[in-house]
Formats: sequence, C-alpha cells, structure tokens
Amino acid sequence: MFLGRVVGEVWATRKVQDLGGLRLLVVEALDERREPGAPKVTPVIAADPLGAALGEHVVVAFGKAARVATLGMDGDFAFEAAIVGIVDDFDVPDAPATWRMERVQTQAALDAGKGMR
Amino acid sequence: MLIGTVVGNVWATKKDPTLSGLRFLIVRPYTTDGDASAETIVAVDPLGAGIGERVLVVFGRAARHAIGRSHDIGFQTAIAAIIDSMELEDGRVVGPTREHDQPAKA
Repeated sequence: MFLGRVVGEVWATRKVQDLGGLRLLVVEALDERREPGAPKVTPVIAADPLGAALGEHVVVAFGKAARVATLGMDGDFAFEAAIVGIVDDFDVPDAPATWRMERVQTQAALDAGKGMR
Repeated sequence: MLIGTVVGNVWATKKDPTLSGLRFLIVRPYTTDGDASAETIVAVDPLGAGIGERVLVVFGRAARHAIGRSHDIGFQTAIAAIIDSMELEDGRVVGPTREHDQPAKA
C-alpha cells in the first residue's frame, strides 16, 4: 500500500469485460516526488470505489485487498489496485515541503469547488 | 496497474506449453513528466492492441484472469484495456495514440 495523490482519470471502451463500470484514477506516489526535478514516475492506475476527487490524497492497496475493498469479495477480476481510503490529514514531520504545499493548494481548490456543486 | 504505449511484438518458439498461441507485446510505461520510461514490460494481449496504442497493463491474478486460460499459466502480465484517453490535472490529455495527445493548459 502507499500514500499517493490523484492526478488524473482514465477511460477505456475496449477492455476485459469485468472492468465495466469501474472508475479508474491515475495516482502518483507521494514519496516519489520529494524534490522538484526528481526522477520521473510511472503513475499507478487504481480502481476507485470511494469517489476520490482530483488532487486528493489517497491510500492505494494492491491484490486481494484491492478487490475486496472494491467489490466486497475476492475473485477473478482484471484489476489489482484500488483506492481504499481518502486521506483527511497526515502528520509527517520530515515530509518534504512539496507534500504540504500541494495539500494546502488542494484543500483551497476543494473549498473553491464546493460552491459549484 | 499502469498505462503504457505498445512499442513492439515479441515472438518465441521455445516457451512454456501454457503460453502457446498467445500474443506478446512490448509496452513502454507512461511517466507523468510526459517522457517514456526507460524500461519496458512484456504483456500478453487478449484484446488485439496495435503498435502505438495506449493500454492498461495488469499483473498477477488479474492478468491471468484477463488472459482467460485459468490460473495455471506461466505468465503474470496482461493487457486489460485499450484506453480512449487519460486526462491529467494540468490539462494534459494522453490520447489513444501519441497523435491524439494534448499539451497542458497554460
């Protein structure tokens, strides 16, 4: 499992049948973004049963945990990563400034967006 | 799961018998700075993706399920979807192929 930030969304028409109806989000791991100019990262694509918003911090799980969290059971399904929690807050004293700044920006953006919903 | 671009095909005559008749593709993972990853992945393709197309790659049990030959198979990476688009927060759109990509909004 890892702590990440939702940075996008994916759509696909041609897919394995049991992916139908799954919302797929693009999640970037926070610990890969320590410094500006840090090495590029391959984002994880995760199923989203919780309705996470763009910019929110999330906890992502893999494998059986991901399937159980998404569908309430394990089984033969063509995905193995899912968002299992939307982070309200975290306390990491040594976290790089980018974590906090992004979070503040995110919260401000969310507050701004609430009036439009 | 990750998104990547199909960059090639692989053929192998001598292989595990459970893999006969399967199509293998080479996929280069997408990275968020817009550059291609230096590493590539070999994935079984049950959907018929072509070179240049963007695909969703899955691993492990999900991949064996996507391949559709039960779980006793000597492979653990598969293509589970061919993507229409991936939209990122900065406005970039990663299209079905490189020609459809759109840059970040100013």
